[in-house]
Amino acid sequence: MNEIHCRINGTDYTFSFPGERRLLDVLREDLQLTAAKEGCGEGECGACSVLKDRRVVNSCMIPVAAVEGCEIMTLEGFRQTPEGRCIVEAFSDSGAVQCGFCTPGMVMAAASLLFENPDPSEVQIRTALSGNLCRCTGYDMIVQGVRLAAERGRGLW
Amino acid sequence: MKERISSPVRRVDAYEKAGGYARYIADIPFDHLLYGKLVRTSIQRGRITGIALPDLPEGYRFISEGDIPPGGVNQINMITSDWPVFTTGEVRFCGQTIGLLVGPDRQVLHELHKAVAVTYDIEEGSSTIEEGLACRGGAFVGEDNIYVEHRLKKGDPDAAFSQADRIIEDVIETGFQEHVYMEPQGITVEYSNGQLVFHASCQCPFYIRKAVAPSVAMNLEDIIVHQVTTGGAFGGKEHFPDIIASALAVAAVAIQQPIQVVFERREDISYTPKRHPSQIIFRTALDRNNRIIAMDVDARINAGAYQSCSAVVLQRTMFSANSVYDLPNVSIRGRAVATNTVPSDAFRGFGAPQGIFAAEMHMSHVARLVGEEESEFKRRCFLKQGGRTVTNGTIHEQVLLEQMWQDISLESGYYEKLKSNPSGSFRGIGVSYYLHGGGFTGNGEQALIDSHVRLKGMKDGRVELLLSTVEMGQGLATTYRKIVASALGIDISRTIFLDPSTNRVPDSGPTVASRSIMVVGRLLQRAALQLKTCWDGTREETVEIGYEHPPWVEWNQETLQGDAYPAYSWGICVTEVEVDRASFEVETKGVWTIHEVGRAIDEQIVHGQVNGGVIQALGYASLEKLELKEGRFYQNTLADYMIPTSLDFPPVYSKLVENPYEYGPFGAKGLGELVFDGAAASFAAAVQHAIGRPVGRIPVTPEYIMELMSDE
Amino acid sequence: MVDVYHPKTLEEALQFRSSTGAVPFSGGTDIMVRYRTSHGVLPDLPWPIVLLGHLKELQYLRLRKGSLCIGAETTLTDVMDHELTPPLLKQAIGLMAAPALRNLGTLAGNIGNASPAGDAVCALIALDASIELASPRGRRVVSLDLFIVGPGRTILAEDELITEIIVPIGEGHISWYKKVGTRRANALSKLSVSADWAVDDNVLTHVRIALGAVAPVVLRCRDIEDDMTGMKLPEIALQREDLMNRYKCSITPIDDQRSSAAYRKQAASNLVGAVLDEMTGGR
Repeated sequence: MNEIHCRINGTDYTFSFPGERRLLDVLREDLQLTAAKEGCGEGECGACSVLKDRRVVNSCMIPVAAVEGCEIMTLEGFRQTPEGRCIVEAFSDSGAVQCGFCTPGMVMAAASLLFENPDPSEVQIRTALSGNLCRCTGYDMIVQGVRLAAERGRGLW
Repeated sequence: MKERISSPVRRVDAYEKAGGYARYIADIPFDHLLYGKLVRTSIQRGRITGIALPDLPEGYRFISEGDIPPGGVNQINMITSDWPVFTTGEVRFCGQTIGLLVGPDRQVLHELHKAVAVTYDIEEGSSTIEEGLACRGGAFVGEDNIYVEHRLKKGDPDAAFSQADRIIEDVIETGFQEHVYMEPQGITVEYSNGQLVFHASCQCPFYIRKAVAPSVAMNLEDIIVHQVTTGGAFGGKEHFPDIIASALAVAAVAIQQPIQVVFERREDISYTPKRHPSQIIFRTALDRNNRIIAMDVDARINAGAYQSCSAVVLQRTMFSANSVYDLPNVSIRGRAVATNTVPSDAFRGFGAPQGIFAAEMHMSHVARLVGEEESEFKRRCFLKQGGRTVTNGTIHEQVLLEQMWQDISLESGYYEKLKSNPSGSFRGIGVSYYLHGGGFTGNGEQALIDSHVRLKGMKDGRVELLLSTVEMGQGLATTYRKIVASALGIDISRTIFLDPSTNRVPDSGPTVASRSIMVVGRLLQRAALQLKTCWDGTREETVEIGYEHPPWVEWNQETLQGDAYPAYSWGICVTEVEVDRASFEVETKGVWTIHEVGRAIDEQIVHGQVNGGVIQALGYASLEKLELKEGRFYQNTLADYMIPTSLDFPPVYSKLVENPYEYGPFGAKGLGELVFDGAAASFAAAVQHAIGRPVGRIPVTPEYIMELMSDE
Repeated sequence: MVDVYHPKTLEEALQFRSSTGAVPFSGGTDIMVRYRTSHGVLPDLPWPIVLLGHLKELQYLRLRKGSLCIGAETTLTDVMDHELTPPLLKQAIGLMAAPALRNLGTLAGNIGNASPAGDAVCALIALDASIELASPRGRRVVSLDLFIVGPGRTILAEDELITEIIVPIGEGHISWYKKVGTRRANALSKLSVSADWAVDDNVLTHVRIALGAVAPVVLRCRDIEDDMTGMKLPEIALQREDLMNRYKCSITPIDDQRSSAAYRKQAASNLVGAVLDEMTGGR
């Protein structure tokens, strides 16, 4: 295909990259949207999580041609929204952040969950985060961060 | 009311990280950046006979030994200098650096990298401790493949053994563990005006400076290391950045353009150091009342193909080999064994987790064999204040283990659960007791580091903290600022802590060994108290403070006798499990911990360390299988090397007990490693109880449990 | 760099496929792993691909003639969340990877990848699923069990695409699923067992037991199933050990980086025992 059209953080883009180029590389290198990280490059760690049509996906697994006509949201866009601010603040207050490398992906996974389910149980939160590896926190405070975001953000989701 | 220091504040780095503003090395743009890709050995042992390069397009270079500038040496200056920057002849392990391909386009580099052909004479290598000791393929370190050997003696073990009523023998083993810091290794180097400037994801900026200097024959002052936001380290970024930086230094001097090396995950798992595997053999003498009268320990650790810091790791293993027990007569032999594997290196706990796991499991095995309940059996041997360590040092502090046990046994329902789930009922509960000596082993703080910190009071009433110990996720940026703010009586917002650069901070030592708060935090506190006497917040004033050893600590580095550590932190972990009768999978039902770390500088940060450390240790205990196949790691992706997810373990109960330490800031002692040290043994003990059979190694996989169960 | 086709319709997809030999690319969660390279470098795809994951006309779940028909490009998340989806398939998908991957992955991808450890495949085979294949030449329906012939090998023709998965609705059927993963979540299977059966008047009238990751393909032992069908439940309970042994002898697992052949054999046999217990109310 010749051109790829998509919307990223509310802005329309037209790309002419090789279609198999990874969305993650386009975001990080061409758009300097570096909140999404590469932790493994094979969909195991979730550090590259972004929203595709409001659902969390691994941007390292997506050829850029596959986002034709899609709406992509990275943390750079999401943090500007009330929902984004709510999760970022709740994570900051809960001790959910240590080294921070997994955190942007965690925030996006949490967003995807709360969009679907504004009042998740502990198991639902843990399931929603199960594709996002964290080596620092042991997860409990991240789970608390999501719960806090759900509570504080009532009506937002 | 004055706030307690321990009351949590929001981490100073939380918002920038949660909001995705923080920049890690791969996020930072550089003009005219070139990329580097390491060309590595692909065999376990042998000699390189030829390197065939593809035609390199203009702008692409292959940097190798021949590019080392005049006066430079092909050596990385670590604790020893045995590890070469570029391998030329001898191959000691699979993954050694041969050279660095450098160029502007990674796509091209990728193709060039695939086209490099290296030929070898292949020799037989060793992977395991047994193979290393047997000098499989011939010794390559000395005549026996032993980097270092130590012996310790307490009391008169020979006499005690001769009077033994019964002797129990036991072998306890632990495997490799990969750090899996979420951010892979990465460094960017710049070279201009005769200066090398590194931007590194690292724990120890001054180590990098020292390590690379001889290879490029440069003065230390002309090498600058900036630490950048570091996405986890756990010991994995203590020495390994030296390896990347050395090759980068040679390349940067040769090419004089910025160059970046950022590993991908497979590369990181395959070729970066791991936790030392261990094999610890016990012989324990009992009297007729089943009391331990002597213990003989033979500890071997798999150090890999170059020495790195294995000699010091070995000491920790040996010093931890009696865990929290004061036994009357003890002999300990320790050996760091050379094998043809990626050199083992620092990893949270630094040898202690292996020693403690072995000691805890062995003590529980002895208890089982003599028919006593294991917590009772172990508690009788607890170290107490004034008690003697295996290096014939003294426990100076009050030991609160007994009180902690009263608390956590109740909280976890230990005794009830023991009763309601008899041994072999597929449900079990286990306990481990542990300690961790804070700071460098022995006289390291004085002899090796001599650390300094500087505080700069400014005209606008703010204070900058200048030191080289780094924030790498553990919360130091927050806890350091809290310490200084509290000591000065100012708000934390008036303190500044920036990621350090070697050209603007004094060397406060590496970020290792649970020394960052206990030792360096104390320096900050002292500096702040001094600044308070001479600075009114309206003009500039600088205070610099150096390390002072607690006067009552006595240590002989030659004989390894005396107080190996000035103070210890203490912990207990209880774990409850259920084993699936069909698949032998283990479900962890509960984890309860209690820790004594002097005083918490920030309770939220401490609980975060506890949770993270315990889950990392439970992964080590159960999931993190890492095998070698022909000298290569078999589980080299995150699809196969299993670290815990959010669903693998339940929430961790964490309680703290205060016992302020006079020489720690506000009474704080070491924390980061302690919380890793014990959980593996409590998990293994719980499984052991559930299946009614002794567990002798980790990881305790379903496959291993099946093996134990079929051993009827 | 390879050609990447982004068809607007199934018809266009079939044209691309038949005229260029482009390989079907659904969610990409297997292909992008297998051919991954490094940051800033294109995946090393050895052939052109035709993207399919976005084709709305292949995203649906609907009932037709007693069967549940699932559009082949429906994401795993949507299949799992749908009320019509049989519990066995829901359970299997629920333990596949993690939400972000389930939001990309599709049934067509899991089937086309033809891994013996494909979790959805294991459940679908126990449910007697068949699949519809389309090509410019027309459409055909084949049993899923016959479609996959070896690790990574299927009978998909060069011009064909998987368009639909057809799952018979087994009224009154009981099912059982167990995945033994490398950890509790976001894990690959060491082995998995999917079972689906029906009982009438204490007699087993229908049974399928599919075992994943213990042979080159997801395995069903038709002879054992045939022998069990028509047996009274107490009789099955009596033959428990014997049946477990027959399964144990039928499987040919391997040692790999995730587990050992010995473990897979033992655990598979034990899990068959657990299925039989569930069936007969034993233990």
